[in-house]
Amino acid sequence: MSTLVAAPSSTSLGRTVKSEWIKLASIRSTWWTALAMVVLGAGFTTIISGVVAGDIASGKSGDSPGEYITQGLIFSQISAVVIGALVVTSEYGTGLIRSTLAATPIRSTVLAAKALVLSGFLFVVGLVTAFAGYFGGNAFFRHQGIGISLGDPHILRSLIGAGLYMAGLGVLAAAIGLLVRSTAAAISIGLALIFIIGQVVQLIPGTFGEWVTKLMPGNAGPAIVVPVDFGEHMLGPWTGFAVYVAEIAVLSMAALALFRKRDA
Amino acid sequence: MNSSLTGTICAKRLTKTFGNKTAVNGIDFTIEPGRVTGFLGPNGAGKSTTMRMILGLDAPTSGTVTVNGHRYADSPAPLREIGGLLEAHAVHPGRSARDHLRWMAASNGIPTTRVGEVLELVGLESVAGQRAGRFSLGMGQRLGIAAALIGDPPIVMLDEPVNGLDPEGVRWVRSLARQLADEGKTVFVSSHLMSEMSLMADHLIVIGRGEVLADSPIQDFMAEHASSYVRVKSPQSTDVEALLWGRGLDVVRVDDELRVQGLDAPAIGELVGSNGMLLHELTLVRSSLEDAFMELTADSVEYHARAGVAA
Ligand SMILES: Nc1ncnc2c1ncn2[C@@H]1O[C@H](COP(=O)(O)OP(=O)(O)OP(=O)(O)O)[C@@H](O)[C@H]1O
Ligand SMILES: [Mg+2]
Repeated sequence: MSTLVAAPSSTSLGRTVKSEWIKLASIRSTWWTALAMVVLGAGFTTIISGVVAGDIASGKSGDSPGEYITQGLIFSQISAVVIGALVVTSEYGTGLIRSTLAATPIRSTVLAAKALVLSGFLFVVGLVTAFAGYFGGNAFFRHQGIGISLGDPHILRSLIGAGLYMAGLGVLAAAIGLLVRSTAAAISIGLALIFIIGQVVQLIPGTFGEWVTKLMPGNAGPAIVVPVDFGEHMLGPWTGFAVYVAEIAVLSMAALALFRKRDA
Repeated sequence: MNSSLTGTICAKRLTKTFGNKTAVNGIDFTIEPGRVTGFLGPNGAGKSTTMRMILGLDAPTSGTVTVNGHRYADSPAPLREIGGLLEAHAVHPGRSARDHLRWMAASNGIPTTRVGEVLELVGLESVAGQRAGRFSLGMGQRLGIAAALIGDPPIVMLDEPVNGLDPEGVRWVRSLARQLADEGKTVFVSSHLMSEMSLMADHLIVIGRGEVLADSPIQDFMAEHASSYVRVKSPQSTDVEALLWGRGLDVVRVDDELRVQGLDAPAIGELVGSNGMLLHELTLVRSSLEDAFMELTADSVEYHARAGVAA
């Protein structure tokens, strides 16, 4: 039966997007988590920049300000994973998913609407975080006379890239949530994938290990967020982002296949 | 939409298995508009599973079920066609009642003004801004009913709606079901209590172990399963039996007693006495609907309480 599901009509998608936005915005934890994303991300960028600015200016450190200007976003990833996972798993935890599917029976429409709302919201919050971090951190660099301008090469791309990366991360976590249907499991897997597995695979020897590392979503995706070239160790910004998007797409398709097959 | 099928729920050989457990076993039924249809069965009979299949939440293992003549998932705005209250409160505890209804309305293109209307209808206006997690069981149930009515659908399906309600709430659900049916809507209500159904339903579908055991108007069900009779005992019971038979009465012999239908106890007593026969007992026996239901489902009850385990 489930293979006969009709293609989602645009009107039904539009209405579902609207309802998903009402859902996301009407939960307090959404706003607290978004605030945490901005405060943690921009805060750490500012603090780290403050700590290193002197050494960079004096030449004691060979680093460049660009290496630090989006650093704090590492911590913002936690919020993106939490918001993304909860959009799906809180519905399974409370039984709300049955109301959702009664309102919109086409599974692909529900998933598409959730992905659109999540990615739009996290893009904006990620963007705010990145710009706030830039202004905060750059205050220290400017004070040392090594300020970065928004017009400098790759800076604007990396700030907008931060929004894109966070958007993708939310969808990734939502897809994991749809596969495991548990808040604790989805958040653990999402965070482990970004923070642990992405590092552990470095231990795989040889070129194979290098490639596996570079292709992990938590390593490929951030290529678009850093304004400096990390050379061999990282994919190029747009190549990395393309790999990241492709991985999210594959995972989402797997999640959708299961979503269609399983009872609610 | 095929107009003759508007307001109907139609199941054909509907089956659902979970692993090797058959929850719903090839059931057929058609639920019609303008009346309250009770869906009665003991715990684990398959009521909730059937209702989840109607809403396209669980996929049938085989067979089909249609709403207004088509599959649920084929509706462009299903909340305008059928509203369901499911057993598990499908509400996020952190969201207010109003916001819950707002997203539901938005999802099916229902005007936002309807949110206020249903809140008023179920009596939750004063707490509409409170988080649903703080609601009592009864308030949660009212919110669920508001959600079922949000699209003003021609079919309303309620799974155990009186669960957790106080007597006033129970009466409210009963009159709401009646009112909706009188407006010509289809009302489909499940319960495991015969007494509840006898007060609410016009038509009854009894289910046990995933199979339909009865599907009839409630009066017919009562007449068939819960008729009263007069118990007659007499030392001349053979003669009495012949006498009553001769008068065209319905007489059944059970051991040493006669069960007589068609005449009330005083009249039977006078008839027997005026024919010079003796009576040892003359009692009106009412078999309650609850008994009838128990008897009907006795073989199909999933979880029997075991008596005397402690002994
Ligand atoms: N998701 C599921 N997985 C496995 N078994 C299930 C599932 N849902 C229901 N069942 C089983 O199917 C049978 C029918 O359950 P269902 O909930 O439909 O009964 P019910 O008539 O609603 O009972 P109650 O009056 O207790 O609500 C039960 O034996 C139940 O254990
Ligand atoms: Mg049930």
